[in-house]
Amino acid sequence: MKRLVLAVVMGTTALYAHANDKLIELSKSNSNWVLPGKDYSATNYSPMDQINKENVADLRPAWTFSTGVLNGHEGTPLVVDGVMYIHTPFPNNTYAVSLDEPGRILWSHKPKQSAAARSVACCDVVNRGLGYWPGDDTTGPRILKTLLDGHVVALDAETGEEVWKVENSDYRVGSTLTIAPFVVKDLVIIGSSGAELGVRGYVTAYNVHTGEQVWRAYATGPDEDILLADNFNAHVPQYGGRGLGVSTWEGDAWKIGGGTNWGWYAYDPETNMIYFGTGNPAPWNETMRPGDNKWTMAIWGRDVDTGQARFAYQKTPHDEWDYAGVNVMMLSEQKDKDGKMRKLLTHPDRNGIIYTLDRETGELVSADKMDDTVNWVKHVDLDTGLPLRDPEFGTRMDHKATDICPGAMGYHNQGHDSYDPERQRFFLGLNHICMDWEPFMLPYRAGQFFVGATLSMYPGPKGDRQNFVGLGQVKSYDAISGEFDWEVMERFSVWGGTMATAGGLVFYGTLDGFIKARDADTGDLLWKYRLPSGVIGHPMTYEHDGVQYVAIFYGVGGWPGVGLVFDLDDPTAGLGSVGAFKNIQHYTQMGGGIMVFSLDGKSPYTEDIEFAEYPSNS
Amino acid sequence: MTSTTSTTPAGANPLYRWGKRSLATLGTLMAGLSLACLSTTAGAETGNANELRICAADEAPFSQRDGEGFENRIAVVVAEAMGRTPKFVYSERPGIWLVRDYLDKELCDVVMGLDKGDPRVLTTRPYYRTGYVVVTRKDLDFTLSDWNDDNLAKLTNIAVQLGSPPVEMLKAIGKFETNMNYMYSLIDFKQPRNQYVRVDPARMINEVIQGKADAAMVFASEIARYVKGSTVPLDMALLPPDTVPDSQGRTIEFVYAESIAVRKDDQALLDALNEALDKAQPQINEILQEEGIPLLELES
Repeated sequence: MKRLVLAVVMGTTALYAHANDKLIELSKSNSNWVLPGKDYSATNYSPMDQINKENVADLRPAWTFSTGVLNGHEGTPLVVDGVMYIHTPFPNNTYAVSLDEPGRILWSHKPKQSAAARSVACCDVVNRGLGYWPGDDTTGPRILKTLLDGHVVALDAETGEEVWKVENSDYRVGSTLTIAPFVVKDLVIIGSSGAELGVRGYVTAYNVHTGEQVWRAYATGPDEDILLADNFNAHVPQYGGRGLGVSTWEGDAWKIGGGTNWGWYAYDPETNMIYFGTGNPAPWNETMRPGDNKWTMAIWGRDVDTGQARFAYQKTPHDEWDYAGVNVMMLSEQKDKDGKMRKLLTHPDRNGIIYTLDRETGELVSADKMDDTVNWVKHVDLDTGLPLRDPEFGTRMDHKATDICPGAMGYHNQGHDSYDPERQRFFLGLNHICMDWEPFMLPYRAGQFFVGATLSMYPGPKGDRQNFVGLGQVKSYDAISGEFDWEVMERFSVWGGTMATAGGLVFYGTLDGFIKARDADTGDLLWKYRLPSGVIGHPMTYEHDGVQYVAIFYGVGGWPGVGLVFDLDDPTAGLGSVGAFKNIQHYTQMGGGIMVFSLDGKSPYTEDIEFAEYPSNS
Repeated sequence: MTSTTSTTPAGANPLYRWGKRSLATLGTLMAGLSLACLSTTAGAETGNANELRICAADEAPFSQRDGEGFENRIAVVVAEAMGRTPKFVYSERPGIWLVRDYLDKELCDVVMGLDKGDPRVLTTRPYYRTGYVVVTRKDLDFTLSDWNDDNLAKLTNIAVQLGSPPVEMLKAIGKFETNMNYMYSLIDFKQPRNQYVRVDPARMINEVIQGKADAAMVFASEIARYVKGSTVPLDMALLPPDTVPDSQGRTIEFVYAESIAVRKDDQALLDALNEALDKAQPQINEILQEEGIPLLELES
């Protein structure tokens, strides 16, 4: 049954938006992967079990596709109705590839962009993926994409032709776009990047038909800019109420306050809310922005039609570590410790805490350390929501701090994790990175000072600090009990995330170039394959003509890869990333493409050797 | 010999009033942290006594490999007055690292143009004194009588050097946030957290000439030659003093006296340099005037 929802817009025209049941229907099919997280719950979970614990060791490459681009390949491809849609890092090409004749390119979109946008991007010229709008009675389906130079583009999904293009961010002011567009009903939700450079973060909804802006909500500033619902935080007044987007800053500092969001969204059609996190405040030097700096570093529940925030919870008030709060949001329905069924959202933050909230009210249900070595915070008070900080591991301009865990890269970065609703477990791809923080002040002529901080990053205590390995972990986590069923170490950070299937498997890629499958119950390694290059994206799975396939991007880069990608030697470059990941170069070099696996490598090409051959007798 | 001191270089106080905590923090920082000085190794080479080894960086207009920087020319004149041959030892890195990486490592023996009283070194008596200036297109018809002047409304994009006193003043008068993004555009949005990035002064003047910046606020000797060489008429005026002290009675200083610096244990070279400066000052003044630098009395 279609519902008509009236949306409030900035202009005078009213927008009638259909509840996009069509996308929800498409997301339920095993043949499709219509959203980066598989469906609106963003759980990266597939009910398929054709590939399972007993036969996963028989996975072989079925087909492959090179994107023609190097640099880091984040995110995952989409599959809809027998077509795979593949995105690339800058120059942000898009390919529609046939699954009937895998690898055959149905159309390409190769946008022209100023190369100047490359130099503005902080952490490699990545892109996290595409959006898909299924179309309606009058309009065919569309592919939505972002360009590094700040534009949002809508393509005809059948032909690849540009339908509309709007500028969301201006790279000339240091703001780029790397985020995957998030489609809900007839809206395309887009975030922002560039917090380091004083970009004031915002999230915007565009009309999928015309590219017109429907609403925009800022992370800082006056209430009318932040877009607060009348009952904002009504259930959770302890997290803060109105006016804080200005009053938790000194003077006009909120205008350059950061709080961009470039990570992942989830959506609940029943609450009608999108869920996402805002990033770090600017500038990095915390002495220059006294105050809690709201609402940077917050988990948001916003009404998708109006953008109005029904709740916001700030995880890291007055950030000192760069724990940008934009990570994955995964929705689940579970019984809490009192046996009461709750609608939950679970979010592993950069700061090393996994937050689970009631996604109807915004109330904290649990806040557990993702590893017991987290030290900047002793614990999170579930009543007030406040972290109890340990000043020994704070960063201050008059104090050299060592062994801060997590380091600035976080114990969890942009990877998209998974949730198994049968096992009720989250499978987390983690970093195990700690840091030293050394502020310095260098005088120069005429009263000039260079005030800065050197970050040195290295494996956490459970890794191997001598050899700079043991920088990653994979864990199975119960958000209700707070326990971990199993945990394993990895050589390098598990940067891209995980996928879980009903076959009892957890899949993920590694920076040193493997795709792996583990037993979801025990963590035992059951299968792996050596890819042409390291992985910073997450796996996906689809069914085509009765065969289950698992696909993953390869192509090392992103923040952990900046040393390799840009050929940097100074260990403190890339905010310490170059030093932390200096050993990646011994395992991988750059690459770019997709590898798709199936049992015994079965594909249309193996079933009939003559399939798609150029006929000899013509 | 290490040098950790709690005195601040005379006149070199980056003070900002709205960030009171940041002010106290910077003071504590200067007191408590080593200013990145290293012990000099005993028995290191000191070079030929007939040479004057000058630590230098490639940093126009101060110092250039073709010798056309005005500090290069002054160094030559001073060496001649001492009866020594000038020898320039060039660093690949920016000049801000010269004391730590070159002078203190005894790869050379003098650094030109540091603030009189810089606590990391011994400094000669100053050989010039000037201040930060505001540079505008003449057709903007801009004057700045004091920091409450209504004319400040004419300025939105202001080219400044990161970490310089005008940045602190902009914060105090509420013009920092609206300028921050423009300021970062001048370093092409590089991350300044742990890499020193210097804005090219020629670029700053170019921005003013093209109208991309309403004004530049820079130390006079850093941009004088570009202002002088501009075919588009420009105004250049010393910034008015900061007359409103913060809660601790401090004000932002815009005027600085520049000296030649030597290692803390090199008193003999210091004495020789002071003598040479007395002889060479008239020639030095010619070089400075040719550069177009507005010169203030050496005695403050």
